[in-house]
Amino acid sequence: MKRYDCMKALAARLSDELVILSLGGSVDEWYNAAPHMRAASLFQQQLGCVTPEAFGLAVGLPHRRIVSLDTDGGLLFNLGILATLGNEQPKNLFVVVWDNESYQSIGGPPTHTASGRVDLAAIARGAGVEKAFTATTLDDFDAHCAAGLAAEEPYIVVAKVSGGVQPGIKRKHSDGREDKYIFVRHVEETEGIVIMGPSEHN
Amino acid sequence: MKASAVERVIAGLKRAGVSVVCYLPDSLFKELYPALDADPDIRTIRVTNEGEGAAICGGVFLSGKRAALVMENSGLRASVEPLARMGLGAGIPVVMLMSYRGELGENNWWAIPHGITMEPVLDALRVPYRVVRQEEEIERAIVDAYAWSYSSYYHSAVALGGSIVR
Repeated sequence: MKRYDCMKALAARLSDELVILSLGGSVDEWYNAAPHMRAASLFQQQLGCVTPEAFGLAVGLPHRRIVSLDTDGGLLFNLGILATLGNEQPKNLFVVVWDNESYQSIGGPPTHTASGRVDLAAIARGAGVEKAFTATTLDDFDAHCAAGLAAEEPYIVVAKVSGGVQPGIKRKHSDGREDKYIFVRHVEETEGIVIMGPSEHN
Repeated sequence: MKASAVERVIAGLKRAGVSVVCYLPDSLFKELYPALDADPDIRTIRVTNEGEGAAICGGVFLSGKRAALVMENSGLRASVEPLARMGLGAGIPVVMLMSYRGELGENNWWAIPHGITMEPVLDALRVPYRVVRQEEEIERAIVDAYAWSYSSYYHSAVALGGSIVR
């Protein structure tokens, strides 16, 4: 199963949601697979922060569906967030874990899931996230997207995807700071709120 | 921690507009955590490590709500990676309130590293902070930290020490 194909299937289901995503090749793939979601997506370059940040966003905007696009390496960096989700039970958080069993952005050394023994969905269920599944086919993944985007409890799908990045895709030019401004202005506009307002004096 | 100091912390958080607190409990703030849990205006989230709490606070910032990360100062060391990435890489701020373990007067050997590393770690991250040892200065310090972090879009910290926590 190719990650890019999964992304296109997920993107076709998204309109008003907010997305936080992880580092590596998935950044440029998502930028191309979901052009209509660029301003609604926060492109983060950090292991272990993606799902916690998405959960924080879900806490702050309980009426809005939040999507976390995490990775095997990123989730393994902070498995504790699964226990926090298990206890907090957010109703508006859908987590996708792109599990390519490797640290792809640095050339592909294996993560712990490559052994075949480590099952992230089983860990999530053990941590109290009952709706946690593994998808190995595109149809299966798409069905979990439909269910996860409508769920009233935390929902995690671990997508077993092949290594390698979609060839010929456009690189994103912005850095983390510009990405944050674009995302924050999008949240402000769509929520009718002020997050980064004017200073007291000009 | 005296009840009056707990009240000043909560008053400061409310004046700063905080509605979400992430925490990993410690002994010096022992009385603060149940008071935060009981407050109807504050949602508390218990985390498994302070770095996770920092990242959750970053997400709350992106929603327009205001969050605080409350912890022992040892938690600062567990938070360095997400703080550096979010703060220096993206300009996503986290305001921290920490107990000052390991300052002069400390009588636990295991807490000495916390005192020795807290201020150098804050300095290494270029995080401005205020060490407060007088109860009447708590509220102002918390409000000032939020004013600064929402101007700089960078982290700030308040450490409570001295007789406030002992």
